[in-house]
Amino acid sequence: MNVRPLEFRTARSTAEATALWAEVPDAYYLAGGTDLLIQMRLGRRSPARLIDLKRIPGLSAIEVRGDGALSIGACVPLGVIAAHPEVRARYPLLAECCLAVGSYPVRNRATMAGNVCNASPAADTAAALLALEAAVEASGPNGDVVLPLAGFFQGPGKTVLPAGALVTALVLPAKAAGCRGSFHRLSRRRGVDLATLGVLVGRHAAGGAGAHRVVLTAVAPTPLRVPAAEALLDRQGAAAAAQAAEAARAACKPIDDVRGTAQYRREMVGVLVARAAAALG
Amino acid sequence: MSDKPTRWVGTEVPRVDGLEKVTGAARYTGDLKFPRMLHAVVVRSPHAHARVRDVRLEQAARVPGVRAVACGKDFPFHVGIYLKDQTVFATDRVRYVGDPVAAVAAETPEAAREAAARVEVDYEPLPVILDVADGMAPGATLVHPDLGSYECVPWITPKGGSNVCNHLKVRKGDYEAALRRCAHVVERSFSVPQVQHVPIEGHISVARMDGAGKLEVYTSAQSPFTVRHLLSACFKLPHGDVRVVVPHVGGGFGGKAGINLEPIAAALAMKARGRWVRVLVDRSEEFYAVVVRQGLEATLVTGVDKQGKVLAQKLLYLWNCGGYGGYGVNVVRAAGYTCGGAYEFPNLWGDSIGVYTNRPVGSAYRGFGMQEIHWALEQQMTMVAQEIGMDPVEFRLRNCLGPGKSTVTGQVLDEHSGRIDLCIRKVAEELGWGDGRKEPNRGRGIACAVKAPAMPNDAASSVLLKFCEDGMLEVLISGIDIGQGLKTVAAQFAAEALDLPFDKVRVRGLPDTDLSPYDWQTVASRQTWATGNAVLRAAENCKQQLLGMASRAFDAPASRLRLANGTVLDPETGRSLPFERLVMGYQFDDGHTIGGPVAAAASFIPEGLIFLDPETSQSPKPVAKWTFGAQGVEVRVDPETGQFTVERIVGCYDVGKVVHPSLIRGQTYGGMIQGLGTGVMEELLLDPQTGRPRNASLTDYKIPTTEDIPEKLEAHFVETPQADGPLGARGVGEHTMIPTPAAISDALFDACGIRVTRMPITAEKVRAALQAKKKEQPTP
Repeated sequence: MNVRPLEFRTARSTAEATALWAEVPDAYYLAGGTDLLIQMRLGRRSPARLIDLKRIPGLSAIEVRGDGALSIGACVPLGVIAAHPEVRARYPLLAECCLAVGSYPVRNRATMAGNVCNASPAADTAAALLALEAAVEASGPNGDVVLPLAGFFQGPGKTVLPAGALVTALVLPAKAAGCRGSFHRLSRRRGVDLATLGVLVGRHAAGGAGAHRVVLTAVAPTPLRVPAAEALLDRQGAAAAAQAAEAARAACKPIDDVRGTAQYRREMVGVLVARAAAALG
Repeated sequence: MSDKPTRWVGTEVPRVDGLEKVTGAARYTGDLKFPRMLHAVVVRSPHAHARVRDVRLEQAARVPGVRAVACGKDFPFHVGIYLKDQTVFATDRVRYVGDPVAAVAAETPEAAREAAARVEVDYEPLPVILDVADGMAPGATLVHPDLGSYECVPWITPKGGSNVCNHLKVRKGDYEAALRRCAHVVERSFSVPQVQHVPIEGHISVARMDGAGKLEVYTSAQSPFTVRHLLSACFKLPHGDVRVVVPHVGGGFGGKAGINLEPIAAALAMKARGRWVRVLVDRSEEFYAVVVRQGLEATLVTGVDKQGKVLAQKLLYLWNCGGYGGYGVNVVRAAGYTCGGAYEFPNLWGDSIGVYTNRPVGSAYRGFGMQEIHWALEQQMTMVAQEIGMDPVEFRLRNCLGPGKSTVTGQVLDEHSGRIDLCIRKVAEELGWGDGRKEPNRGRGIACAVKAPAMPNDAASSVLLKFCEDGMLEVLISGIDIGQGLKTVAAQFAAEALDLPFDKVRVRGLPDTDLSPYDWQTVASRQTWATGNAVLRAAENCKQQLLGMASRAFDAPASRLRLANGTVLDPETGRSLPFERLVMGYQFDDGHTIGGPVAAAASFIPEGLIFLDPETSQSPKPVAKWTFGAQGVEVRVDPETGQFTVERIVGCYDVGKVVHPSLIRGQTYGGMIQGLGTGVMEELLLDPQTGRPRNASLTDYKIPTTEDIPEKLEAHFVETPQADGPLGARGVGEHTMIPTPAAISDALFDACGIRVTRMPITAEKVRAALQAKKKEQPTP
């Protein structure tokens, strides 16, 4: 049980934040806190210092960059992202995945950067971010880095984010705009539940090679893109729904846990990929 | 009972505690801040079963700010409402993960946590029993080696030298002979896991022992007097030196019946004399550390003749009581004498057996064993009907109880006992049963429910009525309004009996055992009925006092006078006196005064109850009353995923008298939703080796949210007056969650031909059953 004092600091710039992080061991960045505070209460994390990022100018902004990319600041709550006109118009799959997380109050607090850094295999927003080939922008003690989301997740709770780095923004490339499809998830109840599994199938408007996206959540140590299933859909479209489903079943590596068995998850990956692929028309 | 039209009972008066609850004025135990209050942390066992070799508190006591430390050595006292099988802290062994071993109280929560971490306990792990089969196996490790020496009430039969904490045998007719005459016999097994109540407000108690030795306890509880009684017995204190106060309670569902955290708070308070000590459990501990609902393994054998009449019925209920059976033994008993549910079984062999295991402690939970046994029995009835090709509704009507029919204990019901047949018919009609409508993957199901108050024969309620100078009536009750609306109902009965404007009644319902009238417990769906009766009796007494004074004031015979909207009226002369001229005594014009402050106390105790025969459980009146009902369900199934939607639940209950239409609808809808939760998503999961909980959080123990509530919930009522009910009313609070899971299961069978016999009915189980069915019947 953590009984040592907890220090709360507010950073006004990313430089100040990273400096505050470097000063003491066991410092944690705080955005929405909807994962971190629960982990603290459960004794899984025992921070000595929390560094609040929400007062850093720019981290709460959504903006279109010169190259047409959409940058979503690390401290923007999921509810704001899902309601943003640019997101809804250009990246509707992201809005859909944001709305799959938690409840209204949770979405008004939780951030997408937090969802990504928490690196849960069941992270709903990761499905859309992987499909849209988003990039993670971070500032760290050794300078700024840009990390593609593909390869960002290393396992439950593990990412390639350098120690001490804080995510400043998630960036959706302009070329990913207009990708449409659907996100299907199964859970034990309808309201507020972690996904037992999730399946996103999307397609870029241009079509052709590389147009399809198939992403699975909660069926592998990380959210998982399935290139084999995508390639099948690229070649034959919805006609290949059943084969794509089979490819996704083969690619997933689910486990048994309190939310479902590995066997059920694998079977449902097939069912949901087939459905989502068929829905592309 | 009366056919007289009513003014307040049966109407939609505003909820009397609504304003204080919605404005936040209502204060709960956790809101109370006592001067210099200490914070406690309970050290709980990480082992499901272990010998406790030593507990060392020295390091803990040295933490700065610590004011009290306590463990089993300090208080080797037994506690338990029916079977005293638990101690305040574990003494020689721990019996479930979460069993209290020691506790500390300190000036700050942080100091208490640090001290708790420094309590040293030497455990010697013992074999862990999680299933009833293992607990019943010959040579099984004994969870309570001293069971034979525990104190218990005479109507509980623990078997020393075994893990059986209670066994009720029901023997009626000649089961074996009848079975041989049956055309069809169906045998099936069913199971129900342990589940948790999940009240919004968790368990919390605050205690102090003052310098004079008086123990005071503020606690979130359903039963202040029972808490006082059991605390007194445990710590050997005179009842008069123990005071229990219950502020507003944020939900109980049975989990706050009996006694829970109070002895731990009291023990620490005795060690830190003069200081208030607060003990609570966090949300995670709430799932396993205090109480849960028992698990059930049921096996039923049903024999029927060709006409669809059940001739022979055998039932074996094995209850997974967990580490202690103090309260749960009575669930075992209630399930025994109600083992046949809403049906007449002329030849019956029933056994209800409580088995100790190393699971969390089973206790009272809304329905008190009835949802569990109805899960088995109601599905069984449908399966038997299907076996003989009879419609399940017709089969139920052919076998159900009713006036003149005999229950499993041989009690013959009369015209006041309630009508299950009318409830079944109403639900069937609402569902359009038998209309031939059949859509793919949609189905309908019906299940029945019955329950009696499971309580000692002498469970009583009393109330006190007194007036304010302005004619306002104060009604003191000690039943707890745990959300069911008891205070409103008590006000309705009082206003009705004294013909008062409704806003001239105040119900004082935050009982304080020093000041409030006695009430046994707020359990068993008994409060509207028991407190309601006591209120009517006390009101009648007040009425006679008022009429007596007015009779002298008017110089008119009292028999001619009547109460009219807060006045006493002489209809012949038209003269009237408002209550405020009478309630403090009546003064004549010359100054002489008669009467005096009007007040009355009254009691209600059920009369005519007879103990069960110890060998056969036969009794002409084992319980005070029965409440019958039925629910129908419509579901839609996604056969590929197994996910299903309960679209509609229709209920009908014979409640004797609808006292408050929207409160009873709220009770019914709430019960349906709680029934849905236990039916389709709730299960306390333990690690099969260690017995540690795997989903002790709201992240992974799910209860329904508003999004999970069926689109249509409908409540209907039959009003067959209860002979000893206040204006004919009988209890219904628990019954509303009893039939839901069985009805859902039947609806799923109707939708896609599968049957899930192990609660909860998850999508994954539905999918697996569909796959199994596909294998059995390969498509040509």
